[in-house]
Amino acid sequence: MNRNTFRVVAGSLLILVSGWLMAADDGREPFDDRYCTTCHGTDGQGNEGVQAPRLAGMEDWYLKRQLENFRAGIRGTHPMDVEGIAMQPMAAKLSDESIADIVEWVGSWPFKPAEVTVEGDAQAGAQLYTTCASCHGRDASGNEALGAPALLGQNDWYLVTQLKNFMAGYRGYHADDTYGQQMRPMAQMLGDEAGIINVVSYINSLAER
Amino acid sequence: MAGFVTRREFLNLLGTTGGTAATLRAGAALGLLPGTAASANLDLLNLAGNSRKVAILGGGISGLTVAYELGKRGYDCEILEASHRCGGRIFTVRHGDLIDEIGNRQYCEFDDEPHMYFNAGAARIPSTHRNLLAYCKELGVELEIFINENKTSLVQDDAMLGGKPIRNIDYTTNMRGFMAELMAKAMTAEEMNSPFSESEAETLLGMIRDFGDLSEDDVYRGSFRAGYAEGGFLKHGVQNDMIAFRDLLQTRLGRQLMGANEGDTGPILLQPKGGMDKIIEGFLRQVGDRVKYRAMVAGVQVRDNGVEISYDQDGVRHTMQADYCFNCIPTHLMVGIDHNFPSDYVRAMKYVRRGEAYKAAFQARTRFWEDMDIYGGISWMNNPSRQIWYPTAGIHQQKGVVLGAYDYGGGMYHTKMTQAERIEAHLSDGEKLHPDYRNLVEKPITIAWHRMNHMLGCSARWQRSFGRGWTHEEEELYHRLQQPVNGRHYFIGDQVSMHSAWQESAVMSAQWAMSDLDQRVRAETA
Ligand SMILES: Cc1cc2nc3c(=O)[nH]c(=O)nc-3n(C[C@H](O)[C@H](O)[C@H](O)COP(=O)(O)OP(=O)(O)OC[C@H]3O[C@@H](n4cnc5c(N)ncnc54)[C@H](O)[C@@H]3O)c2cc1C
Ligand code: HEC
Ligand code: HEC
Repeated sequence: MNRNTFRVVAGSLLILVSGWLMAADDGREPFDDRYCTTCHGTDGQGNEGVQAPRLAGMEDWYLKRQLENFRAGIRGTHPMDVEGIAMQPMAAKLSDESIADIVEWVGSWPFKPAEVTVEGDAQAGAQLYTTCASCHGRDASGNEALGAPALLGQNDWYLVTQLKNFMAGYRGYHADDTYGQQMRPMAQMLGDEAGIINVVSYINSLAER
Repeated sequence: MAGFVTRREFLNLLGTTGGTAATLRAGAALGLLPGTAASANLDLLNLAGNSRKVAILGGGISGLTVAYELGKRGYDCEILEASHRCGGRIFTVRHGDLIDEIGNRQYCEFDDEPHMYFNAGAARIPSTHRNLLAYCKELGVELEIFINENKTSLVQDDAMLGGKPIRNIDYTTNMRGFMAELMAKAMTAEEMNSPFSESEAETLLGMIRDFGDLSEDDVYRGSFRAGYAEGGFLKHGVQNDMIAFRDLLQTRLGRQLMGANEGDTGPILLQPKGGMDKIIEGFLRQVGDRVKYRAMVAGVQVRDNGVEISYDQDGVRHTMQADYCFNCIPTHLMVGIDHNFPSDYVRAMKYVRRGEAYKAAFQARTRFWEDMDIYGGISWMNNPSRQIWYPTAGIHQQKGVVLGAYDYGGGMYHTKMTQAERIEAHLSDGEKLHPDYRNLVEKPITIAWHRMNHMLGCSARWQRSFGRGWTHEEEELYHRLQQPVNGRHYFIGDQVSMHSAWQESAVMSAQWAMSDLDQRVRAETA
């Protein structure tokens, strides 16, 4: 996550892009597309309470791709993907303009490192991570050229869900999910839940360096 | 035959359950005779000029209760409400209203008439919920009786009688008859070595006979209680045919039918005239000028001498300083909002699971149920839509609003569908009760509480294993969440009660928190 881009602005912070509210012609309460923070928390910092991950600090290209994948039903449609199913309809009706606006909006949120909630054997995890590093980078800060997002600073409980879902084929199963498909064998390489916990613990430890 | 209960066993069962447990309960109940309404008893110190600022997060009924009560005592209260309306899960939908389900927002197109409303959240008030009722009285909210169980309404299960709907009264009358016959047989057996004296046994037997309308010989042969097949007024009535016991046992709905009139949903139930949100309107007549709408709380920092709140409104982040904070934002949302709560408190917040209740409603072109002698009440179906509610309001008007589905336990089944799929599901389910249903109803709305903006759930679930009671750990977490942080921040709402999903619990949680604060304020000023 490109945390350096963000500065916390004190006092009154202009957070919303104007012109988003759809005009209500008949005195009815208008719609708007800025409902993300109900689930993703204040300034998109992530909310374990509804299992919605951190958006603040997310790479523009990755955010856009995920929204498009959800919208197209490439992600979040496997019947066993409980959390993905919660997100998928939230993107289903977004227009291209809306997505562009949201990406800009999300980009205005200050990044704060996520709380550590997962604890495993980080040393064992370091071994496992050597493979991951080739795509996600040694410092887990991602690699745009390979389409692999940053993992550092993301909510650890969310990383665990994703690795489980990739492993079980709940994510990355769709024929058009070219990026997700690459991740499935990688997650399977971790072997079992313990492997997942360990590698995530290692990613957590990178934040502390 | 193995698996059958013998008379002796049955009797023993009767002896233990009817004997010991029942006596204990009866004894305890004596101490529970109602006193005066508790809200009148809420003895809070009047600040008289020594004003203190109170931030109330969320305009749910618990938040409004705090604003109203503390406002009366000279506190300077301000309510921050994220949505365009107050009331949260007290939500009455009328013509033109927005149903703010994220990803599936709808406007209600019902006719614009006073009786054409739908209580999408809370709908029933038990007469024992006296704190809530006291506010209704104090705030001038007009009440009427709510019709819940209705003997002429229908019961349908594909597994019973070839899927033909029958009347509630046919089910319950026959079932009571057979149950009574079983009980009476057990009672009269000469081998009875009973835990009852002779006169007790006689009384009990009399009740059993009346319970099931048994013949002299303690056999059930049908009953006029289920109405007449023909005649009954100017001519002798002809009794309806009995339905065989075995047939009735083919549906699992029996358990709910026999229990519908018990516990929290037992008579008498009430409702505000014109919609449940008349209660919210009542509060807002008193404290409406204290509410900031579309003001979404973004941070809560508890300090030594107060609480600092930040919130987003009109695209701007504002801050607000308060002496105290009362918070009814659902815990699962608060977890994702900036805060500096202690870790044990956060652990409790994270422990709570969110409910999944789901409701749907239609406008009916005619009040077709009234042509079938049905006035209000609930029909039961053994399919995912579960229930149809006929409105208590608007009897003999042209149209009415029917509840077309209510899943109070699960709800995700319908929640995961598209709007069109949901509606089709309710239409085809409803056709099992009313063959022409599809043509009789229009203008559907659905309310999936799990996806409603600023709510994302319905009623906190504290117990991981439902039905097995609270674990010690769960009780500890609950009591932790009830306690304030630093004497400054209180969680309120039915989420901080042991009886969630009731307005009464939300009101009482607010009263508990205010009383706790009051003790602290008194100690300070003494
Ligand atoms: C389907 C259903 C059926 C029910 N049936 C009954 C019934 O028959 N009888 C009965 O008595 N009760 C019933 N209940 C329960 C009753 O509705 C609730 O117990 C009660 O309304 C809860 O009130 P509350 O004060 O806890 O707050 P809630 O109603 O939970 O209100 C919370 C408020 O916080 C606001 N909020 C959320 N996030 C933020 C934020 N970031 N910033 C500012 N504000 C925010 C929300 O918009 C909302 O207004 C039912 C509920 C449901 C859903
Ligand atoms: C109803 C709650 C909810 C709402 C509203 C919601 N989300 Fe989500 N979102 C989730 C959940 C839950 C997940 C996790 C999915 C998973 O685990 O696979 C998620 C995942 C995501 C992801 C994937 C993150 C990643 O690292 O791959 C993105 C991106 C996202 N949401 C963006 C948004 C945006 C933008 C909005 C507003 C337009 C939004 N969400 C609204 C619940 C929600
Ligand atoms: C071949 C390149 C590659 C390797 C090696 C790889 N990944 Fe990935 N990973 C990706 C890509 C591409 C994505 C994005 C998928 C998408 O867009 O849906 C991804 C996504 C993820 C995600 C989901 C992130 C999110 O925000 O939802 C996690 C978690 C993850 N990888 C962890 C790992 C781990 C752990 C390893 C090592 C075991 C690993 N990856 C190895 C390419 C790789």
